[in-house]
Amino acid sequence: MSSVSQSPRGWTRGQVALAFLVLSAAIACGLAVYSSASSLTGLSRAAFSVLFLPLLLSLVLSFLLDPLVNQMERLFTRTGSIFIVYILTLGLFLLAALWLTPHWQEFWSNMRTDFPRYTAQMIETLKSLMTGLHERFPLIESYAFPTKVRIWAEQLMAAILAQTPHSAMKVGGLMVIVPLFTFFFLRDGRKIMRSCVALAPNRHFEMIRDLSYLISRQLAHFIRGRIIEAIIIGLVITLGLSLTDIRYAPMLGIFAGVTNLIPYIGPIIGMIPGILIAFVDLGAGGQFWWIVILYILIAQVLIDNFILIPVLISRVSNLHPLLVFFAIIVGGKLYGIIGMIIGVPIVSIVKITLLEIRAYRRTFRLPETALESDRPH
Amino acid sequence: MDPLWTNIFHKKLDEESLAYFLKHLPIFSELSPRSLATLESIVHVRNYKANETVFEENDPGSGMYMIRSGMVKIYARSQNGVEDELARLGPGDFFGETTLTAPAPRAASARTLENTELVGLFRADVLELAERKPAISSSIFLGLTRVVSERLQAASLEIRRLQNQLGEDISPENVET
Repeated sequence: MSSVSQSPRGWTRGQVALAFLVLSAAIACGLAVYSSASSLTGLSRAAFSVLFLPLLLSLVLSFLLDPLVNQMERLFTRTGSIFIVYILTLGLFLLAALWLTPHWQEFWSNMRTDFPRYTAQMIETLKSLMTGLHERFPLIESYAFPTKVRIWAEQLMAAILAQTPHSAMKVGGLMVIVPLFTFFFLRDGRKIMRSCVALAPNRHFEMIRDLSYLISRQLAHFIRGRIIEAIIIGLVITLGLSLTDIRYAPMLGIFAGVTNLIPYIGPIIGMIPGILIAFVDLGAGGQFWWIVILYILIAQVLIDNFILIPVLISRVSNLHPLLVFFAIIVGGKLYGIIGMIIGVPIVSIVKITLLEIRAYRRTFRLPETALESDRPH
Repeated sequence: MDPLWTNIFHKKLDEESLAYFLKHLPIFSELSPRSLATLESIVHVRNYKANETVFEENDPGSGMYMIRSGMVKIYARSQNGVEDELARLGPGDFFGETTLTAPAPRAASARTLENTELVGLFRADVLELAERKPAISSSIFLGLTRVVSERLQAASLEIRRLQNQLGEDISPENVET
């Protein structure tokens, strides 16, 4: 005990100075490492944000095209079948572009004049609603709701006009990068997966290989199902709208299809512009009600709920509505509108992964417990 | 090392190559060189140190292991924890083939006795192959079925022999009841 208490007193000046130097050097090193690490995370975050969207799109696309390529592979080599699938997809895109381009130009020239008209009509309706409310509840008269809506609509229009050239550049970049990434994912995806799984230690290797297969199969099924569902809903809306005199039918169909990727809220957002335009242009007549029925009854209830979801998407991947809202809010906060669309699928992916692991464990626990229950007999 | 390059530059199977090893296993003996090359791309080569557990009894089983070099002990654990050695396998032997098609818990444990190189073939890989190359995967399954059926026949013959032996030992009155 005495030697322990004496040793600090026994330090010479030189030793104290050395200890001080070592300590301050250690602190300086720690600070340097910390600051460089934070700049490193900043760098990696910047790199990730650039890669995020193309990577995501190419992953989704490769999940979508993989079964086609697998079918082709029975006759051709892998690379050859990818090229054939690419040519087919390119042809499909060209056809779609040919069909869409005149609509797009018309849409673009009309939107500048039409958008203010639609919002003006909406504000008019809101104003009459407000005056109706005033008569019944005089307390809320001070709240200038229609003005707020008008300001918001003007801002939205300005944002769309300002963002379009920028996003056109982005889309052009994606059109080059995404097919390239997808090609390599399709060709080498299995090899990439294999080398990831090969990192597992011997003892767990077999289980990880099995789980990785089950999870990726389930994910492919889910992603494929969602995308095909969105495409069919988009087509149904487009077809249904083309039967009426409404303008922008293809745009509205595409919009409804894309927003349909978000459960619960998506379909509602998807039908707002269509119903608004129908109301302003066509009035509250028969065609307007046909469009409302088309959006709600035909597309959502009949086709989506009764046909597509039971056929394409397993019920196990259903999320609680609260979880859906969380995913949309957090996704929107992190990555804007794209985050809102992909937030829910990402949460579903996490859920599917957890469910698959649980199912896997249960499959192999059952015979064991059965054996144990048999033992007393 | 890379199976792709060895296949391009050596038309004849090199004795060192993985394809040569697979070709000389009874399961894959009837595969064509092309199928062997595909098989090479879906098996996993794993290196084990001495006394490493490959799998334990009741682990989820999802595939077979072939021994390329080294020694593996197959054993069952009795109720008081004593290891009961069932078999000792060397290069060219394989084990766990019954779980390749039917997911089931492992019936016994396996442990390496020395530095061992195992080649694993798992259900996931064969099922994936079945989608892309049905012909090759069916010839793999055919080989597997042949080996499993041979073993089953041998086992049923053995059971009959043991039954006969048992019948000779026990008096006819006891057998009838």
